[in-house]
Amino acid sequence: MPLAVDMRHIRKYFPTSNVLACDDVSFSVNRGEVHALVGENGAGKTTLMNILYGLIAPDEGQIFINEQPAHISHPNDAIRLGIGMVHQHFKLVPSFTIAQNIMLGIEPNRAGFIDAADEAEKVRQLSEDFGLPVDPNARVADISVGMQQRVEILKTLQRNAQILILDEPTAVLTPQEVRELYIVIRKLAADGRTIILITHKLLEVKEVADRVSVMRRGRMVGTHNVADVSIRQMANLMVGREVILRVDKQPAKPGEVVLSAENLLIAGHGGIPAVFGVSLEVRAGEILGIAGVSGNGQTELVEALTGLRPVEGGKIMLLGKDITHASVRDRRRAGMAHVPEDRMVMGLNLKTNLDENVVVTHYHDEPYSERGFLRANPIRKLARQIIDAFQIKSARVGEEIKTLSGGNLQKVVLGRELYGKPRLIIVNQPTRGLDVGSIEFVHKTLIQERDSGAAVLLVSVELDEILALSDRIAVMFAGRIMGVLDATIATEQDIGILMAGGSLEAETPIPEKVQ
Amino acid sequence: MPRRLRQTLDNLAIPLLAVVLGLVVSSVFVLMARTDPVQTYQRMFCEGFGAKGCQTFGDLLVTQTENEDGSTSTVFAPFYGAGGHRLAVVLERATLLILTALSATVAFKAGLFSIGMDGQFVLGAITAAFLGYWLPGQVYVLAGVADPESAPQTLLTVMHLLMPPLCIAAAMAVGAVYSWIAGFLKVRLNVNELISTIILNAIAVQIVNYLVRYPLRSDFNSTARTTRIDDTAWLIPFNRGLFQDVEWFSGSRLGIGIVIAILAAVIIWFFLWRTTAGYEQRMAGGSRLFARFGGIPSEQAALRAMLISGALSGLAGAIAILGIERRVVDGYAAVGIGFDGVMVAILARESIPAIIVVAMFFAGLQQGATNLQFGDLPRQLGSIIIAFIILFSSMETFFRNLINRIQTRLRPQRAPAAEVRPS
Repeated sequence: MPLAVDMRHIRKYFPTSNVLACDDVSFSVNRGEVHALVGENGAGKTTLMNILYGLIAPDEGQIFINEQPAHISHPNDAIRLGIGMVHQHFKLVPSFTIAQNIMLGIEPNRAGFIDAADEAEKVRQLSEDFGLPVDPNARVADISVGMQQRVEILKTLQRNAQILILDEPTAVLTPQEVRELYIVIRKLAADGRTIILITHKLLEVKEVADRVSVMRRGRMVGTHNVADVSIRQMANLMVGREVILRVDKQPAKPGEVVLSAENLLIAGHGGIPAVFGVSLEVRAGEILGIAGVSGNGQTELVEALTGLRPVEGGKIMLLGKDITHASVRDRRRAGMAHVPEDRMVMGLNLKTNLDENVVVTHYHDEPYSERGFLRANPIRKLARQIIDAFQIKSARVGEEIKTLSGGNLQKVVLGRELYGKPRLIIVNQPTRGLDVGSIEFVHKTLIQERDSGAAVLLVSVELDEILALSDRIAVMFAGRIMGVLDATIATEQDIGILMAGGSLEAETPIPEKVQ
Repeated sequence: MPRRLRQTLDNLAIPLLAVVLGLVVSSVFVLMARTDPVQTYQRMFCEGFGAKGCQTFGDLLVTQTENEDGSTSTVFAPFYGAGGHRLAVVLERATLLILTALSATVAFKAGLFSIGMDGQFVLGAITAAFLGYWLPGQVYVLAGVADPESAPQTLLTVMHLLMPPLCIAAAMAVGAVYSWIAGFLKVRLNVNELISTIILNAIAVQIVNYLVRYPLRSDFNSTARTTRIDDTAWLIPFNRGLFQDVEWFSGSRLGIGIVIAILAAVIIWFFLWRTTAGYEQRMAGGSRLFARFGGIPSEQAALRAMLISGALSGLAGAIAILGIERRVVDGYAAVGIGFDGVMVAILARESIPAIIVVAMFFAGLQQGATNLQFGDLPRQLGSIIIAFIILFSSMETFFRNLINRIQTRLRPQRAPAAEVRPS
């Protein structure tokens, strides 16, 4: 079979961060196949694809496209060679229509003026040709995330892409949207197009890819037919050791109610209501998981519970104390810990050192400060304790943290938040962007905290994570809790229906998405 | 710790490279003025940093002195200043730059891009200038002294101990309140502090212009000016008081202000790095969300930072009047010492030890460049040279990349065994 992509002996070294991102990597993809590229965070897969797309220049190595040597020094070169890339974070203009986005930069014009009718017509034609229905005149701001992704794919197809690179395409989709995407991917491959799928979800590889290449720490460790390898084998190749995929946990022994929220009404960005009358309860010794596609009010809910966002209505009780309007510090004093969604900006201050990062929740208490003066030794001791307890290997007391990996940064956050035995732990997207090994660690830690009697509220868009950790699962959609399920009997299918705004009782089908 | 050593070397290499590149590029303009760049730069640095009679770059470091017995000996030039040393003048100006740069740094570290130093400085200056003659005047009236010359010595001594601190405190309070306005607007109404401080600067300058030209105008001198401050409010310069006999100080109005400035630097450093209040300000500056998340009262921290920042600029204004100028002359409000302080803070990358070095270097360059005009060179040439040096100093990323590229080129083989970070 002819090779669509052949990258030989690629090497890329980043001197600023002293990372050898690609070390003699060779990678080839057959024409018309779906080829998954997997690896942990920092394994070099995104760097390799950015080299292929002309975003990064390699130090060494050659690239052949359709068996012809190619010089790709800019994305325009890549596009000319028929390579298209759909980034993890979509690069669409929200205020433009679908047609305007797809034709951006190649607008049909009449005497220098954009011909809007022709533009819409071209996009309609395109979407018909590929069987990917879209409404050319809908504004991107109004369409679902799954639809935005479809627009991104159409955008590459309009530029006649024969080789499509999809970077973590399912990260933002509901299970149903994921199914639809798989169908699209198979269809494009059947048309003779080549798909490269960057992912770290191995289940996805099993379901949609023909072959899989595994990268680890800048090296290519092997390419296999997907049919020949099990998920466990792939995970082991990725991490380089045996990985425990299932989280071991005993049934929960729920105790007293630690957190209860009643009828919360919370305003989101620009004062638009984001949460409508949410009530929930978390007990000691249990994990309540909140599932949902991102942007359905979870962020606002967590911010309101942790004191970062005012509550418009309703009541929040922590261990029998009304904390509805309490300050962040008072809530923390009452036993609340918070592992935030964005660890880079909210969870940590990357501009300072480890000590000052771990002391932020305690700095005003003795022994860390006395009469307004910081005391270096107790702070250093605290940092050392956290490093030891969480085995943060590359972290050092008193040193900058911005060079730590994502997994180690999250360990710093967890270490600080779990220090001093909090009664309630609110975690939001605790494993976003982490590699398999770190995910394993975070999950184990959360289970341990639960077993030692803490109440855990886990918010995550990763359904696997919710299913693996939670004892009860609440599903959020459009600012409401659609249902609370017992984790032992909940199925992915049920949760998926609730996530899309459907109901389990009524026999109504899932509402059609905006087309 | 080799990594820390390398960092320090990098940090020193960049400003040095910047100065050299700035000089090289400015040579184009020096040549256009039909003069020899090397000659020009030698004169500029001698005028800026040298002792009297400094002619070459070498004279900046070592110089010959004549002993009493007629023989000559070689001495370390910065310490030898027969007839006055330029460095004393540099320190005089650096005093104000250090204080205004500290003021900017306190705001920057709290994440507030306040550049209101100029307005706070001139308001502090006019406050000190007014109180400097008015307060002693009131005291003389109360004590029934008709002529200060004949006042009892004890009264003068007590006044001399009280007046400067009072004037300084008032100037600091005025600076602090003026700065607090911008902080309040930021915290309550989310008004961008950069814009509000620019506006507040313009207002302050006009207020001072008005005060000097009308209510506080002292005489019918062709340039409007305030009454000179009373001798009891004067921070007497070293060359008129403490070190009268040390020639090094002659020709400079350097005084106790430099001690205050360096003391302020030490205190601010301690405040920022060793107190909970300073910690709060720095964390709020590093990441506002992080501070809120950690339970830091960040609005309070922002307002406190603005108050301290304003007080420092006010202090600079007070020292400028009480120690150096002794009165505000029309036009002084437009000199822009506050802006120079902002520049120093940025070039020093908010590092407090660096501020002292950069302030001195900056003051020396300004002096050298200004004095170029006393030769055959156009006055603007000095400004061009300074501008180029500043421009290159701000190109940190460019130099860092350059250094990185050279380092990679030097060891292109399999140097780093990919960063292995087992988690």
